[in-house]
Amino acid sequence: MNYKIFSPQDFPAYLPKLNTLFDELFSGGKGFRSKLVGIVSAPLGVDVKVQNLLAQTIEFIHNASLLHDDLVDRSQLRRGKKTAWLKYTPEYAVLAGDYLLARVMVNLSGHGNIKLVQYTSEMISDLLEGEWLQDSVVGDFFVTIEQLDRIHNLKTASLFKWCLRAPFIANEKYDAAIHSHLNDMGSLLGQLFQRSDDLLDYDIRNDEGKAVLGDLKSGYLNSFGAFMSHQMSRAQVDKMIKSTNLDDLYLSFSDNAADGKEMFTKKVAEFDGINRGLIDLYEHHLTELEKLLVGNEKQLIPQLRPLTEILYWRRKPS
Amino acid sequence: MNLNSFKTLKRSDAEFEDYLWGAGTHLQNKTVPLPVKTLNLGETNETVTFQVFTHFEINRPSVWTLIASLIKVHTYILVLMPLFFVLAKNFVDDRARDPFSIILAAIASLFLYAGLNIRNDVIDHVYGYDRVNILKSNKPIALGWITARQASKISWVLMGLAALIALPAFFLERELISVMCVVVGLFMLGQFVKQNSYKHNRVGEVILFILVGAGLASGYQVSLGAGIDTEILVFGVMWGFAVLFLIHVNNFSHILTSSQAGILNTMTRMGFDKAQRFLVTWWSLFCGLWFIYHYNYASLIWTIFGTLLLVLWSVPLFNKILKIRSPLGSDLDMIRKEAYRAFIIMVFILFSENFWYVGEKLNWSF
Repeated sequence: MNYKIFSPQDFPAYLPKLNTLFDELFSGGKGFRSKLVGIVSAPLGVDVKVQNLLAQTIEFIHNASLLHDDLVDRSQLRRGKKTAWLKYTPEYAVLAGDYLLARVMVNLSGHGNIKLVQYTSEMISDLLEGEWLQDSVVGDFFVTIEQLDRIHNLKTASLFKWCLRAPFIANEKYDAAIHSHLNDMGSLLGQLFQRSDDLLDYDIRNDEGKAVLGDLKSGYLNSFGAFMSHQMSRAQVDKMIKSTNLDDLYLSFSDNAADGKEMFTKKVAEFDGINRGLIDLYEHHLTELEKLLVGNEKQLIPQLRPLTEILYWRRKPS
Repeated sequence: MNLNSFKTLKRSDAEFEDYLWGAGTHLQNKTVPLPVKTLNLGETNETVTFQVFTHFEINRPSVWTLIASLIKVHTYILVLMPLFFVLAKNFVDDRARDPFSIILAAIASLFLYAGLNIRNDVIDHVYGYDRVNILKSNKPIALGWITARQASKISWVLMGLAALIALPAFFLERELISVMCVVVGLFMLGQFVKQNSYKHNRVGEVILFILVGAGLASGYQVSLGAGIDTEILVFGVMWGFAVLFLIHVNNFSHILTSSQAGILNTMTRMGFDKAQRFLVTWWSLFCGLWFIYHYNYASLIWTIFGTLLLVLWSVPLFNKILKIRSPLGSDLDMIRKEAYRAFIIMVFILFSENFWYVGEKLNWSF
């Protein structure tokens, strides 16, 4: 799907660098969030044009957050390429992110559903709060997983919640019970996605080849790091944060590398166990949601069921 | 895990109250529902998802751990120190006229404090404070060790016992009736102006300040038959200031989650940056009060030595408060511990000082 142009005013050709920057940023992205919008929109019978608008909205917001995030984190690479702030200057990266958010508001308000505009604005606000908070805990190696969950609920889960709820709002379906379940489900998907993403940092189910210990090296203890360090002594945490590779990390569990690796593997299994609980909770909301949907809407359930498999376990649904 | 182990309920649902209180006809026997997610707290469309466990799935601690967590044994210093102060002060001044009444009042205050602590947990659970905040200590109701209904019953029994035990003291020391009328009146105001105002608005904080400070100290002194004097009121104000500092620090450590849940206390009203400066100002004012109290009522050596020790201990605390960068994260736990440590140091100085005066009175040679 081409998200770039929804209205003829999107991305005027006379603006230097903006079009190239956009094309480079969006190529290589999986577009998972816009696909999720499509999955939810189809059974509800959302008009194709509105579906395109929603897809553009979520991708623009997500990519605006990446432009800003990369600059805040001083990241060098995004999707295997040089980040926008490095290639086009920080000023252009900020302006491009702002531009994407501005286009979202122009196009959404043009659609005319004020509740959708309001909800989208709230989501952007949550996203930025999450970014702000995340930055405030960089360098904090004693942060707890519960505290990180609060950040991820704002930063990551707000987008997932939007993907599930926005098509209903666009179709003017405001049933509070349905939205309550969708909200919880979005929150759980965001949490699971984030936790799975955090595991990649420790080379767990890392089929994407993400750089190992990247978060830790940049001073950020992610959710799995916080889970591991919870019962560690101060000396062990010290060892852990100084690790430059996984072999070093194993030594923070035990002076014997083999034992350390075994303990690390146990921690991964425990972490997976906790997250299985979240998946069960997601299934519960899905069951409750099914009772509230009518007619074709019920087709949504089998579409939403495999998402935890994809987002947490990083595998195609069986 | 069985999917039936989750249940999502709206406040308007018939089963809602039963699940929240952990008892009632809508609940199966030997099941323990624990809230795992709360949406729209305090609104008519509040929704709570419960995870329902069987009794056997709950890891219960020993009876002692349960009791200690339930009545918050570690905070008993808040009522025991004023008691010690009143006893020491009046012993030194030869004004301990009614030992029987003070024994009754002391026992009653311990029962009352236990009952109020449990009541506080019940209210926090039912009205949601504990359901939206990240818990920093063992909360027996949230952990399923006891249901809200059981805890509520225990709290009423303890408060009833406190009233029974204290009853003879009211006949022996009539002035105690006036003190109790003021205390009970303020307590009721704090409870019912807004549900559990102590955490939800500033009036509640002021009431708490009077109750745990001047109210408690003058209550003990009246029970001892020594009446109310200026010194005990000044001490009460100073003690109230110190206790409220701990409450502000605790509220500060929950500033983000409380703000998100719409809880309006001094900390959430001020916001993160101002709240940091406010905490420093508050403890500085306490140090000032400490000096004023000691200058007027204590020996010169304790005025200088005690104040210096307190100020020296407080400076690093101020630095740590002002250096906190995040409304989430480990700094908040650290600052709660540091503030409590400063409070304990203050109590230690106060205890040593009064012990010293008692020793002097008894002609002990140190």
